[in-house]
Amino acid sequence: MSSGSPLLADLIEALRCLPGVGGKSAQRMAFHLLERERERGLKLAAVMEQAMRRIGHCERCRNFSEEPLCSLCASSSRDRQVLCVVESPTDLAAIEQATGYRGQYFVLMGRLSPLDGLGPEELGLAQLAQRLGEGEIEELIIATNPTVEGEATAHYLAQLARAGGVRPTRLAHGVPLGGELEYVDRSTLAHAFGGRQLLD
Amino acid sequence: MRIEQQPAYVLHARAYRETSLLLECLTREHGRLGVVARGVRGERSRLRRAQLEPFQPLVLDLLLRGELATLTAVEVVDTPARLSGDAGLAGLYLNELVVRLTGRQDPHPLLFDAYARTLARLAAGESLAWSLRRFERDLLEAIGYGLQLQHDADTGEAIEPAACYRYVAEQGAMRCAAGSPRALRGSDLLALEQDEMPDSVGLKELRDMMREVIRFHLGGGELRAWRVLAMAVSRRP
Ligand SMILES: [Zn+2]
Repeated sequence: MSSGSPLLADLIEALRCLPGVGGKSAQRMAFHLLERERERGLKLAAVMEQAMRRIGHCERCRNFSEEPLCSLCASSSRDRQVLCVVESPTDLAAIEQATGYRGQYFVLMGRLSPLDGLGPEELGLAQLAQRLGEGEIEELIIATNPTVEGEATAHYLAQLARAGGVRPTRLAHGVPLGGELEYVDRSTLAHAFGGRQLLD
Repeated sequence: MRIEQQPAYVLHARAYRETSLLLECLTREHGRLGVVARGVRGERSRLRRAQLEPFQPLVLDLLLRGELATLTAVEVVDTPARLSGDAGLAGLYLNELVVRLTGRQDPHPLLFDAYARTLARLAAGESLAWSLRRFERDLLEAIGYGLQLQHDADTGEAIEPAACYRYVAEQGAMRCAAGSPRALRGSDLLALEQDEMPDSVGLKELRDMMREVIRFHLGGGELRAWRVLAMAVSRRP
């Protein structure tokens, strides 16, 4: 990738920090910005600079925020008796878009995963326990992913909730909508079978 | 080298390159292997990804080149061990222990069997603490750091059930005064040796002893899963 321009090489190398971007894509992006999008490239650089410096974590829910309290936590129209725990800001966005949920959130920024160096402290669980102990929250909706680590985290969170006198609930999971049983993998089917519900 | 129809468990998975996963697997005949599973991230490969979750008995086809192997085929051969509740936290501990205490490409077939046996015990709801102590004992044995539970390391005499001992990693059990720090009863050492579950005092003493031994073999480090397990253990006798 010798271009004769050390700065161009630096730009290409820097773009590779983006997820899913290898050497080829990084080069394409750099050329595209230089050839056609100088203005917006400058804008990108300015916003990037501001965002990297100013965005931290909300004190209350740990989601990304440039204020001490994010807008969701600061909002007076959200139900303060329900708290939904998610693994990531992406999961929060998905729930906001797909459901009519009006409660508050807590973002773990991960899940219990000892081999990734993620334990209770890294996930802010002491902070969550304290919040559960404040007495305002009645239900903790546990929306971690249905993976081995997500399930272990859910179990841990349920214990925290019970210790704080809060009712824990878990998202239902099973056969996807529009799915046919014969094409559903065994573990999903076993899970759905185990979690069957009374019809009334 | 081609490795075919290899019994294995996934211990851990993390994102690797653009669409792949780097798995740590425990295989029966080749020990722990770093395995690259290509193209298993993203929406369409949800099913294949689910097969690569921990605690499922798998049979893998692999191509081993240098440090890493590439996954060429995977099959789930049995119903996965459902480790729910505290057993799930214990499962994360097993996986961290195996990864931290074994090297890649060191074959330990006995470790594989002990691991499979422990998952079955945890899934069946057997005593968490006792299942973990048995596994730790078998793991150390399998990797060549077996505990010395029959004889006093100082005198060579048989362990006396009523006497008190302190266990020192790589040396063994030595008589000490009752009530001295980390003292444990001879009967607890013998219980572990004879694979008979001790009482709750014994389980706690054995846990502390094992932590010290494991810490020694880690070169002084801690396991992160200990803090995760604290939640499970604090609610149990
Ligand atoms: Zn917030």
